[in-house]
Amino acid sequence: MTHALSRRHVIAAGAATALSMPSILTRAKAATASLTMQSSWNNDAEFAGYFTAIDAGYYKTEGLDFTYLPGGPDVIPESAILSGNADVTLTTPDTTVKAIVEQGAKFKIIGTQYQKNPLGIVSLAKKPILKPQDMVGKTIAVPPVNVVSVEAVLKLNKIDPSSLKIVPYAYDPTPLIKGEIDGSSDFTTNVPYTISQQGEKAVSFLLYDFGFTIYNDTVVVTEDTLKTKRKELVAFLRASRKGWAENLKDPAVWPPKFAQSWYKGTGRTIDNEIYFNTAQKPLIEHASGVFTMDDEGIAKNIEALGQIGIKATKDMFDTSLLQEI
Amino acid sequence: MTRTDSSGRLSTALLLLGLVVSWEIVGENALVARGALPAPSAILVHLWSDRADYGPHILATVQSATIGFLVGNVVAIAAALIFVRLPLVEQLSRGFNIAIFAIPPIAIAPVLVLALKGDWPRIALAGLAVYFPTMTAMSVGLRDVDPRATDVVRAYGGGPNAILRWIRLRSSLPALLGGLQVAAPNAVLGAMLAEFGSGARWGLGTYLLGSLGRADPARLWGIGLVATVISGLAYAIPAIVAVLVTGRSRAVTIAPAPASLRSLQPTRPLTRMLVLLASILVPLLLWWALVAMSGLPSIVVKSPTGVFRYLVTDASAPSAQARLFVALATTIPLTIVGVAAGLIFAFGLATAGLLVPGVVRALMPVALVSQTMPLVALTPLLVLLLGRGTTVTMVITISVTFFPAFVTLARGFAMVPRAAFDLVRAYGGDGYQRLSLIAVPASLPYLFAAAKLAVPRALLGVMIAEWLATGGGLGDLLNRSRGTLDYGMIWSVAFVSVVLSIGLYQLIALAENLIGVGDLRMLKQSTMGKANSQRSDSDHARNAPP
Repeated sequence: MTHALSRRHVIAAGAATALSMPSILTRAKAATASLTMQSSWNNDAEFAGYFTAIDAGYYKTEGLDFTYLPGGPDVIPESAILSGNADVTLTTPDTTVKAIVEQGAKFKIIGTQYQKNPLGIVSLAKKPILKPQDMVGKTIAVPPVNVVSVEAVLKLNKIDPSSLKIVPYAYDPTPLIKGEIDGSSDFTTNVPYTISQQGEKAVSFLLYDFGFTIYNDTVVVTEDTLKTKRKELVAFLRASRKGWAENLKDPAVWPPKFAQSWYKGTGRTIDNEIYFNTAQKPLIEHASGVFTMDDEGIAKNIEALGQIGIKATKDMFDTSLLQEI
Repeated sequence: MTRTDSSGRLSTALLLLGLVVSWEIVGENALVARGALPAPSAILVHLWSDRADYGPHILATVQSATIGFLVGNVVAIAAALIFVRLPLVEQLSRGFNIAIFAIPPIAIAPVLVLALKGDWPRIALAGLAVYFPTMTAMSVGLRDVDPRATDVVRAYGGGPNAILRWIRLRSSLPALLGGLQVAAPNAVLGAMLAEFGSGARWGLGTYLLGSLGRADPARLWGIGLVATVISGLAYAIPAIVAVLVTGRSRAVTIAPAPASLRSLQPTRPLTRMLVLLASILVPLLLWWALVAMSGLPSIVVKSPTGVFRYLVTDASAPSAQARLFVALATTIPLTIVGVAAGLIFAFGLATAGLLVPGVVRALMPVALVSQTMPLVALTPLLVLLLGRGTTVTMVITISVTFFPAFVTLARGFAMVPRAAFDLVRAYGGDGYQRLSLIAVPASLPYLFAAAKLAVPRALLGVMIAEWLATGGGLGDLLNRSRGTLDYGMIWSVAFVSVVLSIGLYQLIALAENLIGVGDLRMLKQSTMGKANSQRSDSDHARNAPP
């Protein structure tokens, strides 16, 4: 195998894709060591580790021609790997497992970015909601896609869903700040910053801390990709782990470096990204390295999902790639 | 005359100024919605400090919108040419055309993101938004030819192709440009909506999504204002071309339609039945073919049979049906009330335009901004002002419904000859009597045209309100289904919302036939002159599918 030659070729192709718009044609033409990741949202600190790995050249060192696709409200990450738009994606484990169980989707979870799901209930300190019971009698805004998670916490804490009012959350915390709603379901790593900028103090609790013990941004591939691109996936995990470790070493260092690239024109501020990056550090890090899925963590996921009627099994989590890193 | 004109313009300008000043005072002092309405000065200051951000976003939106505009219009013009030469194809495409017209963009956007790659969801949504207005305008333009001109070509031995080339194509230009004028802002809004959802790196929709989390209304209004300006320019460019190419008078009027569209339909009941059946099958077959051609896995992309299985034969079908019925039970009544509310509002505004034209002219900029301002940016303001009940649903629905209906009705009122009003005035009738005796009966066909335009928009408005503010209904079901990877339901909601929209549309068409607007037209023809009634026919055809 002419490894050196193909690797040079790949780096050249990588440079070409970096310069041009990522199109279907260039992706199809790229060599076997290419890997495309569909992200779960648009560019913010949630994905800082991947941006760090790209800018620090970690994927290139691994011989990977890596393409990063931002996500958005209409992007269902799992769809991107089913339709072949991407090889690997970040999901919420409840949707992924549900798709495996109910629709026979051939997914494997090969790692997790968050050991603890950052999703929680954010409220104002002057009218605090610090545990699920505090939600009774309140109006809580929940993005429709997260209603399942909030209902799970209600069930796990034996709270009657009709004892509170759930309304849609349209990404804007203004109604919370102005007191139109009492709490909203959001990443606790992010929205408290905005609220503080508006002169209010926010408090929050994690759904994870009240029984809904699931991961988030689980790294998911199709069984097919796992077979055909195993080597690339291991390389991806290795480079991404390095990127995350580097980024989290000092959470205030990397976000400013992305001001003119990844975070340019996103509508958010670098200070917000630093806050986010700092807050997510304890939720991502693991003694055995970022992405680790240990037996205890997997068992907790299976148990929490079982509580809301999603029958996860251990074989849906494939830890063998992490061991190869 | 000039004196009253200029004084009218002055009072309009004063009113508009008063409006902006009171908005400034209200915004500056946080008098409305606990300060969720920013003052105009705050918006402009913010816009200026954000100016470095806008360039690449505007460029991306304009690029997607332009490509979508070109692709959509090429298809629309080609379709119109085929329809004119082969009326049977038009009959068969009727279902397809209405379906394109009736698709609620928020229901189809997730489906486009599932099925298409790269920039194509953005381009496709922009293209879908331009197809219908251009296709109808071009069809009307191609048919509205001076019979004397075609006689000349025929006399010199020219066939249908020669007539198409020498007469129809040329005379269709003003109508085509009119259609492009409606289509261009649609393309901008379509591209933005898709950017918002589809994970685009650049675009005003992307910028809006990123900015939403800041709790910073001035930024959001700034984005809305930029979108308004781009849409305004998109509207103005075809208008300027129209003036340059066809002259002022031709650009704003449409030549009389020579043949009623009804007369083109096959007369034998059996043939008519078969054509109707085929026209229903065509969009389904097209859907089938596109799914098959895409080569995407059937778990993600559902064909018509896939949706049928999901809703009827699968083991989970009863649960899916139940959820869909519950959602429809919420959405359908609201949509029907929303159509009525939107029409009443439009009618009120058009009437006011007749009675106090200065006030309505001053309100027009506000009305235009309301059409291009992304509703997701206004949600906090709306829920703070109106809560999360039926009121907010109705206000959102009216705001997305009234404008095209108002334009149609105002045109209807404008078509009434001055002499008819003078007659009432001469007998001492007041403004109300002018309205009830002349304007309303004469504009009935326009009211139906407006109602047809209002139906898909009312459904869209209700779904947006459900998605952003109230929860429940089809809008909420669609979003929850995304959260649970329920692809079958995502496609079912898209399908059902199109069917619902077409169903309500056909009900209005039926009501139009029952009330006998046709007879009324005959009456108008004898009392108000021939040209007018024919004009109403062609306008009617332009705004809504026949």
